[in-house]
Amino acid sequence: MPETEASIKVQIRQWVAETAERKGVEFTSDDESLTASGVIDSLAIFRLVSFLEETFELRVADEEIVNDNFKSVNEIERFVNGKLASKA
Amino acid sequence: MAFLLNQLLTRSAERFPERPAIWARGRSLTYAELEERSNQLAHLLRERGLAKGDRVGLFFPKAVESVATMFGVLKAGGVYVALDPSAPADRIEYIIQNCGIRALVTTAEKLKTLNPRQIPSVEFTVLAEQNVAPEAGNQIPWMALVGFDGSRPPEPLQPTTTDLAYIIYTSGSTGRPKGVMLTHQNALTFIQWCADEFRVNPEDHLSSHAPLHFDLSVFDIYNAIEAGACVFMIPEEVQLFPASLTRFIVEKGISIWYSVPSALVFLVLHGRLGAADLSKLRIILFAGEVFPMKYLRQLADLVPHAELYNLYGPTETNVCTYYKVDRAVLASQERLPIGRACLNTEVFAVDDRDRIITEIGGEGELYVRGPSVTPGYWGDREKTHKMVVPNRFQPHLEENLYRTGDLVRLREGGDYDFLGRRDSQIKSRGYRIELGEIEAVLLAHEGVREAAVVAVADEEIGARLRAFVTAHNGSALGLPELQHHCASKLPQYMIPERIQVREVMPKTSTGKIDRVKLALEA
Repeated sequence: MPETEASIKVQIRQWVAETAERKGVEFTSDDESLTASGVIDSLAIFRLVSFLEETFELRVADEEIVNDNFKSVNEIERFVNGKLASKA
Repeated sequence: MAFLLNQLLTRSAERFPERPAIWARGRSLTYAELEERSNQLAHLLRERGLAKGDRVGLFFPKAVESVATMFGVLKAGGVYVALDPSAPADRIEYIIQNCGIRALVTTAEKLKTLNPRQIPSVEFTVLAEQNVAPEAGNQIPWMALVGFDGSRPPEPLQPTTTDLAYIIYTSGSTGRPKGVMLTHQNALTFIQWCADEFRVNPEDHLSSHAPLHFDLSVFDIYNAIEAGACVFMIPEEVQLFPASLTRFIVEKGISIWYSVPSALVFLVLHGRLGAADLSKLRIILFAGEVFPMKYLRQLADLVPHAELYNLYGPTETNVCTYYKVDRAVLASQERLPIGRACLNTEVFAVDDRDRIITEIGGEGELYVRGPSVTPGYWGDREKTHKMVVPNRFQPHLEENLYRTGDLVRLREGGDYDFLGRRDSQIKSRGYRIELGEIEAVLLAHEGVREAAVVAVADEEIGARLRAFVTAHNGSALGLPELQHHCASKLPQYMIPERIQVREVMPKTSTGKIDRVKLALEA
């Protein structure tokens, strides 16, 4: 069964919330900048990429790992949806 | 030759007033502007009663104001302490109280995170941002600087060779960070050596990758200023994304790069360096941890024209040895030497019988002597006496040696190999971490009976941290609560990636926690 859009966002949000929790960083909204708040650091970004690749069965190219695609939960969701649409 | 760090700026400002000195977040300052701003801040600090040797904290994300503040504090005769803007408040408040910081240069947002009652030593703050409300009580807006003389720095306050310039806090085994004191002379020894060795010139563009509370940042900033070159502070949102970082190097025409190896490994793996025009990049320096050979070889192939240097040195000596990568032998090298002593510095290895090693292949602890060696740790005489010891090998010099705690081997030709640590200190992403400090934090939680932290070797970042704990009888240890506890006490790079609650700890025959066994399970 294909992932619904809601469940994509829920899974991304859960990953972000867990990472924030572990680091003691506040995570308040889907719009918030994850790099500015410190949720995503140089290690977390690659864990997040692996998480997205495994969870949604897609491949993220190095040139796609940029701030525009990973700025916030909303942007990550938009990026994942774009990848899934181009795959389908 | 300069005898104070701030003279480097004043001299370059006279030579190159119109040239850009710093770039950060899309803003830049020329040498004349940086000189003026730092003069004004120095006068402001003096007027507010800052005396020689008083500590001033820097607590905000890297910006052009960071560099103006560093020089302003030094010109006022003060000592700056760069505080990690992403560290938990508890740690920042501890450091502020530990060295008695009198003034804090910060932002309204960062200031809000601190509890004023926990930092009674702070008498006033300067808000390093453009648009803030007018002066209120002990909060001074940055724009108040315009009311002070920017044309010249205040008169120096009887400078001596032992004057402190800055304090850098690193992980301490007792559960609290310790402040490494560095004098103007310590820093200048290193900066002058770099200026000669790397021929830094006014055309150079240096990148600033390391945070200011990390001693790698000393090179980027002071060597740029020394040469009249420009330093480019890498924004966080660029730093995290390798492809963006590569683009930054190209667009800014970075000619000298300095970072921990893990940052370069990320660039090699994901930065698409092969597709980029890196012709301006002439020198790549790295330090802080061991560079995995296979990635170093890839880097050497991707940037064939650049000189690569492995720099070695604990914060207590800045950099004390260096090794220029020899491309002719790189393919066959099993490990990269840390090399030999920088000019003005001497290093030697001392074996278990307290003998200086002279034979090839001999192993011992590395000692450092010379003008780069720290006078010691702030407010910790015991620790200072343990690590900064009288030179018993050359008593006529009447000076101190720094014991690095690092085991090395002497190679043929005079270079040294780094073998490992004598204690439980490890490196992750270039940061020094005392595992004991993390264990002390875990043990401070009321539900924890025993705690052990082990490091699992990791090629990309040096080491990953795993923690094991057992609970007190009858107490139920919640994992989220423990994670929260760690996050409120430790900086991010020291938070264990995984915490496992166990029924019992494996023990050695002497009844100690068997960390070797835990490391195998981790």
